[in-house]
Amino acid sequence: MIGDFEYFAPKTVDEAIALLSKYKGEAKIIAGGQSMLVVMKRGLLTTEYLIDIKGIAALDYIKYDEGEGLRIGALTIHRAIEKSPIIQKHFRVLSEMEQNLATIQTRNWGTIGGNLCHGDPAGDPAPVLIALNAKLKLAGSGGERIIEVEEFSKDYLEVALEPDEMLTEIQVPTPLSHTGIACEKLMVMKGDMGVVGAAVSITLSPKDGVCKDARIVLSNCASVPLRARGAEKKLIGKVLNDSLLVEAGEVASTEASPPVDVHGSAEYRQEMVKVFVRRAATKALERAKAA
Amino acid sequence: MEETFGNYSVIGKAMPRVDARAKVTGEAKYAADIELPGMLWGQIKRSPYAHARILNIDTSKAEELPGVKAVTTGKDFNGFKWGWSGPTRDEEPFATTKVRYQYEGVAAVAAISEDIAEEACDLIEVEYEPLPGVFDPFEAMKEGAPLVHDNRPGNICVEYHWTFGDVDKAFAESHLVREDIFQTPRMAKGYLETPAVVAYWPGPDRLVFQGAKGSPYFPYRILARCFNLPLSNVRVIQPFIGSDFGGTKNDMTHCDFAAPMLAKKTGRPVKLVYTQFDTLTTDLRRHPMWITIKTGVTKDGILKATYVKAIADGGAYTRMSPLTMFLTGTCMTLPYELPNFKFDAYNYFTNNPSSAAMRGHGLYHSRFAADVQLDMMAEELGLDPVEIRLRNAIENPEPGKVYETINGVHMATCGVKECIEKVAEATNWEEKRKTKKVEGHKSYGIGFSAATYNGGTKLSAHNACAAIVRVCEDGSINYLTGASDVGQGSDTVCCAIAAEVLGVGLEDIDIKRVDTAFTPVDPGSYGSRVTVLAGQAAMNAAEDAKRQLVEVAAQQFSVTPEEVEIKNRQVFVKSNPQRNMPWERLVRIACYETPGKVIIGRGYSTQGITILGLADLSKGVGDIGTNYSFTAQAAEVEVDVETGVVKCTDNSVIAHDCGFPLNPPAVETQVQGGSYHQGVSAALYEEFKMDQGQTLNPNLIDYMRPRAYEAPMTKVLHVVTNDPYGPFGAKEASEGSCCSAPPALINAIYDATGVWIKDLPAQPEKVFWALKAQKEKKQRKK
Repeated sequence: MIGDFEYFAPKTVDEAIALLSKYKGEAKIIAGGQSMLVVMKRGLLTTEYLIDIKGIAALDYIKYDEGEGLRIGALTIHRAIEKSPIIQKHFRVLSEMEQNLATIQTRNWGTIGGNLCHGDPAGDPAPVLIALNAKLKLAGSGGERIIEVEEFSKDYLEVALEPDEMLTEIQVPTPLSHTGIACEKLMVMKGDMGVVGAAVSITLSPKDGVCKDARIVLSNCASVPLRARGAEKKLIGKVLNDSLLVEAGEVASTEASPPVDVHGSAEYRQEMVKVFVRRAATKALERAKAA
Repeated sequence: MEETFGNYSVIGKAMPRVDARAKVTGEAKYAADIELPGMLWGQIKRSPYAHARILNIDTSKAEELPGVKAVTTGKDFNGFKWGWSGPTRDEEPFATTKVRYQYEGVAAVAAISEDIAEEACDLIEVEYEPLPGVFDPFEAMKEGAPLVHDNRPGNICVEYHWTFGDVDKAFAESHLVREDIFQTPRMAKGYLETPAVVAYWPGPDRLVFQGAKGSPYFPYRILARCFNLPLSNVRVIQPFIGSDFGGTKNDMTHCDFAAPMLAKKTGRPVKLVYTQFDTLTTDLRRHPMWITIKTGVTKDGILKATYVKAIADGGAYTRMSPLTMFLTGTCMTLPYELPNFKFDAYNYFTNNPSSAAMRGHGLYHSRFAADVQLDMMAEELGLDPVEIRLRNAIENPEPGKVYETINGVHMATCGVKECIEKVAEATNWEEKRKTKKVEGHKSYGIGFSAATYNGGTKLSAHNACAAIVRVCEDGSINYLTGASDVGQGSDTVCCAIAAEVLGVGLEDIDIKRVDTAFTPVDPGSYGSRVTVLAGQAAMNAAEDAKRQLVEVAAQQFSVTPEEVEIKNRQVFVKSNPQRNMPWERLVRIACYETPGKVIIGRGYSTQGITILGLADLSKGVGDIGTNYSFTAQAAEVEVDVETGVVKCTDNSVIAHDCGFPLNPPAVETQVQGGSYHQGVSAALYEEFKMDQGQTLNPNLIDYMRPRAYEAPMTKVLHVVTNDPYGPFGAKEASEGSCCSAPPALINAIYDATGVWIKDLPAQPEKVFWALKAQKEKKQRKK
């Protein structure tokens, strides 16, 4: 059962930050609550003060500018990202990722910012955003700062937020030309947390088709979303073919240290990293070639 | 156009469910919705150990907590024990000396709020001496293994040894003999409504109990004995029951004892509601079973003999295990002819939560094993799966004849052949089977199976269902029954039967909730028994009321009663329908003309008991059912050969012989959503994972069940056999179709991949390693 707490529902970012500063370390932010209520109900998380930011209307937006890229307010619900024509057009992989994020009911209430701040290495958005080279805007009593999504996750369910800070915006740069990005995860049922997952970005040189850059990010393979840098090295600087993508999967598999639970052994997950890196990379390469 | 069956006014065609409006509008009140003035909240204190001696329970700190009104422990029940039957009473309301599974209840608290009750539970200090436990039957059977019950040597809970014919001789004469081991896992019932109850004492020796119980006359009897009350003073008022999903929400839980005891102590109503966590850690589960099956067939694939050795994990207490093991054995002689059969069953106590009945009870395990093995043998013989089934299927007996199996199971109708033929035709089986479909890393396959289930279950005692049809003076009707609709639609079907017999409309009949103070006693909702037996009671009660009214009409028309008919609310003389009057007028005359009658029709079921006697569980002889449903099914799967993920596609067809579909859409939805999806789920997804008695996935995220995305929509074909022992020819609907899904899917996976998954469920990792091993084997051969 959820323990008692004092409840606040600020209407602006400033009000929320004021509350965070006042109850430094004693308060927790709740947004959509789709992950947080689960851990609270299981008694894994208790808090004295609960700050419900779902009512901060100013943090619910999707903005796009070719130069600046995509900006998503932290309180934008998953379903809005999934269905956004702008995102479907320019950042298709984000929409595809959202299609398999939990159930429609959850997507209709859960927020992108809430998902990132929960810090679950099995979460779907972070690996895709890291592949997209995205940044986060954090607001605190000392002002705003920008951080790479890759730097945000610190440990299992732990993120780089100061006690008086909150996430306000996700910033996704427009990908370089000739870039393809794709994500794949192992689901037994649609919308499951990935048993393992992979997001891959491949940028090709338009002249010779050589892989200029590759970013490979794994979900549920470590305590944080994991950059498979060894696997990336396998690809960068080469003209890509199927066997290189298979090799990248094999290298990524050695970099992963996945958990063991009722959904699979570590050995099985390592085998699956091979499959899903290869599948995501194959799709990313196709897209890069088509771009 | 909806399909209709038979030439009837009410039944045999689509009808709205009588409870639909109340459920959709929220008017229907479930146990957890009940609020009473002065009501207290109860909470259960549970053991963290799976096996431990209780040295001391100190409740003093809990009692001192402000807001706590009463605390109870097992000692308050003065040694009372209960069980499924007299000889198996081995369970206390709360453990007093020893806990036998994790989270077994040891005490309970009533307080002014849920929070205080929970806090008080934390203040109860229980001193345990942890004991080594046994966590599967193979540990339990070891010599010197810790005993779950000190008085049950070897941890044996149930043991049966039956022999019919001569299996050894038949094996020696067989062209092909095969032995395989199959495994079925422990599964959750998965009902949405968790156990919930409100109890109070209107007088010092009068108990009122409103609980989420599928069979209200179970707690009626058990609580009378527990609190030493005459049955007349135990009033069980049945709220609406949340979908049961074949979970048989009958047996007592800790809350069902805690609420009455705490209410007695405090003099106030006490309510307890389980969470899904409580349910998924402590409620009854389907038995995990290990089935060794040896079968002999002729060159032509004709079954000669089967030997089955079934080993089951019964869990901490006996519960329904004697019946489970009987059902696991008895069904081996149908739906195929089997001349020789031997069965050895061993059910062991373990320190896991107790196992018990679940949709497809017992048959589910052994029919899975037999129907997969049949495909294996068909392949060895070069026979098509449909062909081998048709060659062995029991023929539908001639009208008036009864087929008897070697173990004394009787059936007057058997539509299995027709089911098999219909499914083969609808799926274009031969064509479909020949085309091997591989698309990238996806491989497709189709599998076949046939199954059966007993309907109108009759156990050794209190078999009859009863009904009262009260015709009000304005022509409307109150229908009183002791039978409970737990979601299967029996209220609608019983009302429809009564309406059909009386010649009125379904809307004229108002069904009352069960209230043991007013409604007739009833065995309960289990064993697919309600439509067959409560349906017969409805028929008999309606006929009794009709007879009384027809007598009045005969006087009015100056004809004999035989000449009077009632149809569509019109009463008329059969030979001259011009002489008629409306139903309302007849009722009015009957009630108002001197001396004025009170029309009450009474009836009870007799079929189950009188036709063929009762089954002998220990010898394995005889009928547990009144009649038997049959099913055939073809299912298509899509296997991701790189990951092992299996999906069941929409290309699936079931043909179901439920005798006669009284309410065809109810039969179809019951078959689809109720049992087919549950069967697919059993084949592909569901399993409680355990570690030393601890349930590792006690939530509906980690314990996987298909959602709408994964639930394929199967086509349901009706096979009508008009069983003479069912009301209007009806048999059970849907338990059989729960049993046919797992073998069909496993056979389909083999068709797609060439890999046999013999232990359910076919979860991805299991399939993946099996595929990998197959690949490595092939490579070695090269």
